[in-house]
Amino acid sequence: MSPVTRAVLGVVGLGGSLAVLIYLAAVLDRVIGHRVAQQPLRWSAALALPAREAARLVLQQRSRTERSDAEAWALAPALLAAAAAASVAVIPFGPAAAVADVDAGLALYVAAIALVMVAVFLHGWSPNSVYPLIGAYRFVAVTLSFQVPLALVLLATALPAESLSVSAIVQAQDGLWNVVRQPLGLPIFLATGLGAAFWGPLALPDADDLAGGTRAEVSGVPLLLWRAAQLAVLVSIAAMSAAAFLGGWRGPWLPGVVWLGLKTLAVLVVLLLAGHLLARVRQESFVVFGWVVLIPLALVDVFLSGILLL
Amino acid sequence: MRAALARLAADSPVPIFVLAGQGAAGRVDGLRLDPRLRLVDSPRAASLLLVAGRLPRSWLRPALRIHAQMPHPRVTVWWPLGYAPRSLERRFAGVVRVAAQEDVAAVLVRLQQALLRRERASEPDLLPDVDPAPWRGVGPYGQGGKGMTGGVPFGRPLATRAADRDGLELDFLPIRVGPFFPPLPVGLVLELRSQGDLLQEARVVEPAPGRPLPGDVDPVFLRALAEPVPLAALERARARHHLRWLAGMLRFHGLHALAGRALALAEAALVGAAAVRALGRLLERTLALGWATRGVGIVPPEQLRGQPLGPVARAAGLAEDARSVDPAYRALGFTPVTHREGDAHARWRQRLAEAAQALELAERAGDRLLAGGEGVVEAPRGRLTAGGATASPLLELLPALLAGQEWGDAMATVVSLDLPPVEPVQGASGVAA
Amino acid sequence: MAALGAVLAVFLGALLAFLLLRWAGDILNPTPATAPQRVPFLGGYPPEVHAWNRYHVRYYAMALLFLAFDMEMVFMYPWAEVFVREGMVALVEMLMFIVILVIGILYAWRERALEWA
Repeated sequence: MSPVTRAVLGVVGLGGSLAVLIYLAAVLDRVIGHRVAQQPLRWSAALALPAREAARLVLQQRSRTERSDAEAWALAPALLAAAAAASVAVIPFGPAAAVADVDAGLALYVAAIALVMVAVFLHGWSPNSVYPLIGAYRFVAVTLSFQVPLALVLLATALPAESLSVSAIVQAQDGLWNVVRQPLGLPIFLATGLGAAFWGPLALPDADDLAGGTRAEVSGVPLLLWRAAQLAVLVSIAAMSAAAFLGGWRGPWLPGVVWLGLKTLAVLVVLLLAGHLLARVRQESFVVFGWVVLIPLALVDVFLSGILLL
Repeated sequence: MRAALARLAADSPVPIFVLAGQGAAGRVDGLRLDPRLRLVDSPRAASLLLVAGRLPRSWLRPALRIHAQMPHPRVTVWWPLGYAPRSLERRFAGVVRVAAQEDVAAVLVRLQQALLRRERASEPDLLPDVDPAPWRGVGPYGQGGKGMTGGVPFGRPLATRAADRDGLELDFLPIRVGPFFPPLPVGLVLELRSQGDLLQEARVVEPAPGRPLPGDVDPVFLRALAEPVPLAALERARARHHLRWLAGMLRFHGLHALAGRALALAEAALVGAAAVRALGRLLERTLALGWATRGVGIVPPEQLRGQPLGPVARAAGLAEDARSVDPAYRALGFTPVTHREGDAHARWRQRLAEAAQALELAERAGDRLLAGGEGVVEAPRGRLTAGGATASPLLELLPALLAGQEWGDAMATVVSLDLPPVEPVQGASGVAA
Repeated sequence: MAALGAVLAVFLGALLAFLLLRWAGDILNPTPATAPQRVPFLGGYPPEVHAWNRYHVRYYAMALLFLAFDMEMVFMYPWAEVFVREGMVALVEMLMFIVILVIGILYAWRERALEWA
């Protein structure tokens, strides 16, 4: 197979699996929501619901505002999705298989998550409307607070692997998963990951107290693309936590891809449940929490794993 | 292609933006539990505009503006709820009226499907297609013309500077948060000045100070002013009110699924105190609302003393309750529930505890009648006296409460105060325009 | 190198795909927006000024702190790769660096740079 064919196959495969996982995330979100609300929902209805919503959104007109920044508004959902896709590309799905096995995959991942902030800010800035703007600036404050713990906790998983490449990190988990070796790691990563995907307790840019926030002026196909991109980031967080903490493709009998998919879905369920059971945080409280609690805990995680390795 | 998409989209939940007019509050909440509908918080996300009840005259232009902001395909539906005026049909050309016995949700679903299949044309604008801010300026970016930042690019002026408390002079945004802003009660219009996301000042535009408003009081409380009513019915109505408010608050804080659970409890015909307490324990235990409401919107008890403010006063530590002097309640061993902190956290716990207490009283009361006829009744929002309601004293406290708060905290404060929806007194404005 | 090229391909591919989907949506729904439809949603009244303004970003002090920690992350990435090889020396040196920065966080916390309302 020529390298070009392999590359194209990789990109298409990545896009396809990301699309499937995004769809499943939407389905699971509905199912979990109805379970928490103690309302009945048939599985057949749940499986078709995201498709129906998408069809309805495709048939709806795109909203425009006075003197908006049209190019940035068009770019924002695409940038969010591209950042999410690039971050998933470094995650291995087999012993020597990743779409892009970058030597410093971890650094690339954190950089892609940082792009999420840019995309959300653009999305809030472009409509030239008050509620999206406030949502955008709020999110920047929160992102600056969770970015460092997220990177530190991932860095701790790189210590035993002696490499920043994600496949090396997965390889280094053949004796013991990182979730056991570094117990602080996964909870902190999930908490900050919710912020990266602005989901649940950290859904500050698209919040209900801002009538939808950055989403308030969006309708039709752009709204569908934005929600899909947001779920793509959530899937990326789940996939990275599966790879860095839960052993990635490791597992008996089933092929590596299937194990990665199952672990990703399991983490997705946890993230979606957190979205339904935890209230939205206050901006300032989270900033203080991020700097005074999360960063010291992440540093403890890093240095403790370092000491245990020596 | 479009037909296939329309077929696929036919069973998706219908997004509706509700304008809840007079008499509509309780009925609209019932729609939230219907899985065929989805009530959205921005008109851009909606396909159908549901006008429920009667729209007062002052809300008509905001309603027309909101209608214009909805994307196509769209249609307006009017749910009269017993009000007769035909003026809405005159202003909203093409509005679909829901007949008395029809199922509103079925009408909405039918209309949505007709819109998607293009069997029904989308409603055109009701406002003239005139740019509200016609372009002035000389250059291609709206620049040029009179003055520099005194100029008006694309017709609207830019924000100007004002001093801020940390010494930086940056821009402030004057925001008129209108009658149909989802976190606020319907009809409340606030004029806010925000620098960044901090509110420098807040002013209540509507209701005008001193204007009386009945709010959406359950009729059983109004009946209790004049005659003896069954205690159980009164307490159940109180619990229903508090649970509906709780659902709204949970929705505001992002807990939509738990809000559905609270609303189901509110709409259930017979719900026990145990279920309500279980929900309360879940809310407390999952830390769900602690970080969102602790220390937010503290109202000191000195500002509330002597005013008929019900749960808000009791959550600040004042044990004022009109039920304490009623012999029927005393026979059941009623004592008012209080909390100490006076913040949003205390207020939602207060209302949850009062709802559970009300259901317990209802269970134990049997056929007991309220002594009634005194002309004073403890309504869910405070003490109600015969002779009409006055404007809520909380509205006077609002500017001082909201000034200096961050946007999310300010909105959380307003939600926690459970202000009544603002409606003009019947007969004051005559027909609804 | 090839791996970075693959990441770029994925990035650009996703970007292009989403832009094409948006364009396709515009083809399906070409209805232009009228003037009343373009007014931003505030709750029923039109806005008095443009929303774009010199927004008071009150967390600027915290942003400076973030800058310091971002630079620290730049140093920690290569440190993580050579840590096991270098042993206790690497641990102690990074620990000293981090302690200085954590003292910075504590100072910022005390000076209320992390709160602004």
